[in-house]
Amino acid sequence: MKSMSTTRGRAHHGHMGQSVCKGWLIGLTISSSLLGFCLFLSCFILAGTASADTSLEPIRFGLATAPSNLDPRFATDAASTRVNRLVYERLVDFDHTSRPIPALAHWEQLSPIHYRFYLDPNRQPFHDGQPLTAQDVQATYQFILDPQHASPHRSSLLRIDRMTTPNDATIDFFLTKPDLLFPAYLVIGILPAQLIATQHPFHSQPIGNGPFAFTNRPDDSRLILTRRTDRQPFEFVRVPDPTVRTMKLLAGEIDMVQNDLEPELVEYLAKDQRVVVQRGHGSNFVYIGFHLQDPLTKQLAIRQAVAHAIDRQAIIRFMLGGAARPASALLPHDHWAGNPALPPYNYNPQKARELLAQAGITPDRPIHLTYTTSSDPFRIRLATILQHQLAKVGIACDLRSYDWGTFYGDIKAGRFQLYSLSWVGIKTPDIFSYVFHSRSIPPHGANRGRFIDDTANRLIDEAETAQAIFEKREKYQQLQAYLLTKLPYVPLWFEDHVFIARQEIEGFSIAVDGNYDSLVSVQRRR
Amino acid sequence: MFIHYLLIRLLTALAVVFGVAVLVFVLIHLVPGDPVDVMLGESVQPADKEALRHALGLDQPLYQQLLNYVGRLFQLDFGHSIYSKRPILDIILERLPATIELGSAALVVAMVIAFPLGVLAALYRNTLIDVGAMGFALLGVSIPNFWMGPILIMVGALWVGWFPVSGREGWLSLILPAMTLGTAMAAIVSRMVRSTLLEVINEDFMRTARAKGLSEVWVILRHGLRNALLPVITLLGLQLGTLLGGAVITETIFSWPGIGQLTVEAIQRRDYPMVQATIFIISLSYIIVNVMTDILYAWLDPRIRIQESS
Repeated sequence: MKSMSTTRGRAHHGHMGQSVCKGWLIGLTISSSLLGFCLFLSCFILAGTASADTSLEPIRFGLATAPSNLDPRFATDAASTRVNRLVYERLVDFDHTSRPIPALAHWEQLSPIHYRFYLDPNRQPFHDGQPLTAQDVQATYQFILDPQHASPHRSSLLRIDRMTTPNDATIDFFLTKPDLLFPAYLVIGILPAQLIATQHPFHSQPIGNGPFAFTNRPDDSRLILTRRTDRQPFEFVRVPDPTVRTMKLLAGEIDMVQNDLEPELVEYLAKDQRVVVQRGHGSNFVYIGFHLQDPLTKQLAIRQAVAHAIDRQAIIRFMLGGAARPASALLPHDHWAGNPALPPYNYNPQKARELLAQAGITPDRPIHLTYTTSSDPFRIRLATILQHQLAKVGIACDLRSYDWGTFYGDIKAGRFQLYSLSWVGIKTPDIFSYVFHSRSIPPHGANRGRFIDDTANRLIDEAETAQAIFEKREKYQQLQAYLLTKLPYVPLWFEDHVFIARQEIEGFSIAVDGNYDSLVSVQRRR
Repeated sequence: MFIHYLLIRLLTALAVVFGVAVLVFVLIHLVPGDPVDVMLGESVQPADKEALRHALGLDQPLYQQLLNYVGRLFQLDFGHSIYSKRPILDIILERLPATIELGSAALVVAMVIAFPLGVLAALYRNTLIDVGAMGFALLGVSIPNFWMGPILIMVGALWVGWFPVSGREGWLSLILPAMTLGTAMAAIVSRMVRSTLLEVINEDFMRTARAKGLSEVWVILRHGLRNALLPVITLLGLQLGTLLGGAVITETIFSWPGIGQLTVEAIQRRDYPMVQATIFIISLSYIIVNVMTDILYAWLDPRIRIQESS
């Protein structure tokens, strides 16, 4: 009996004990998890505090894409090109009309195939203290011209036959054939000859003579440059997500951003007192391209109908937040070879329907086209709007979006009916030959729509061989007018640049090509 | 015998890694798109493209490229990135610590949340506590990282101001991405802890442990949880493998310079050697985690050791 009662008692005690234990367990688990989390947190807070360094206050620039290659002989992407302009100086630059102007050197044309460049006597030495001489210029261009080095800039310089350096500050370029626009190709940053010879890793440790010197690259997403005039550090921080970039700007973790923000984010930031939004004209040309050997899109009436069916003003106003200018040609009106007399296609859905009717397309026999674009969310949204606008005039579009590599491969291979893309950083009018001449069909160029037109070919050839600038301009203007009637592209707009900085940042001015050159004058107000 | 088993596992793992490496090589070359085009953009002349293609060895026949690649792989030479020109091993060694750091921190967050929640839900089955805990788990599984991340940034960085918005600067910057990843993982793990604990909670050995007079806490922790751990460990191993493979969305949101983001960028740029190297590293990390899980299994459950020995 005793043992039974003891057992019962224990059982009873065990039951009560179980609930007490469960309560205790709840407390234990909650407190342990809280304790664990707090320990975790405090450990990080302490470590974070310890690692914070407030002695230097770099000005931080948020980028969507980090510069991938700091060697101007190989860099081709926009981010690298813009940053390299800060680190290296080049012989020639461009004014606001994209005319070549002296940068590190001024020049004279001694004969149709002989240019002499004189280095600026007040030029800065390289960041390692060595003076920049004509030999450095020669070594840089010789390296690029050597086919063994496979520089992507080589073919634009193939017109150079040879170079000589009469003295340390003069360099002569002899060309294989006359070229009035030759100085416009000398835009590669100059590197020290001695370091070129020793195969210095410029891509990761750049040494130029530009206004900014390389300081450090802690990882792929951060690059620190120091301004030579006042030792002010600038940090370029890669923040791929636009929303996070916006939040970093508001939190003060970065001081400025340029472009790559959705219009609604720009609008949101424009209402915030902590930041200032600046807009400036840009030269990035957005267009719709057609396959001109496709049974449907080779018909001019259909291409014209597409051009009249697109309400550019509405898209610019509502989708781009007003940050674009309607385009009528590949070169903007303010380009020296641009054609300001060309009006953009006007929005006229009725005319579009009439043009379609001329091509035998009626509401009971609608037309179906495939519109190819990249997988970029902004481009997909644009494609959706265009699809809607085209549907209103009787053109049904199937949208196909692919990742950039696949999309670009398809475009090059001619696997499309219509697509949209943009041309970035166009300065010289030789782009017309590359894009519209019949000898430029891929893989020989970028005539992806297979546009074959004798008149266009003739105008391009005449413009290229013209021996006076005014004559070149006239020919290129005629060409642009002609292309607008033939519509191998439907010009859409030139994208504006948007620069957003915190209130205390001043001195930045937007460049037409979106470069960062004005960082030389940027200051943080105290 | 156990060492013999491990050796066989390692050899099998190596064969898998080799298979993955070859498969990735073939697949990345089958995908449309040319790295030279992606690198050089639109305004570059055809002669430049050909010169670059030659310099990169991309003009060689595919079988030759494969042989070169496999040959280099045996020397652990991943080559150079065709995009940045830097040695791939250097880039991976820069990124790998960030990935391991984030993966480990997320695992800690997940375990700290999941174990107490799972145990509580099992002990208080069909009560409000259970519903609350599993509701949280459901929420954690349902909320996508691309939403959770910005919300945590908004609260933790903009409103409260305790943490940096993004980047990898100091340990504080690890908290928000680790919580983003960890809470999602905790949701899955806590459900698993609950269900496995419920399976063992009324087993004979648990009753025996109670009958011995052990406290309930000790019974749960020493006997219940240990026996319930095996499937949870499997799950954690798989999750850790996924994390080491790169949490692409979280890495993108928090600008966390990890392997996942590197892989996606390399695929977009058709940087073939980089894609091959990162996938190789990812498959290697999966296999290492799996082997470690097996070892942990044997340590936790003596029956496995006995089976292997016999």
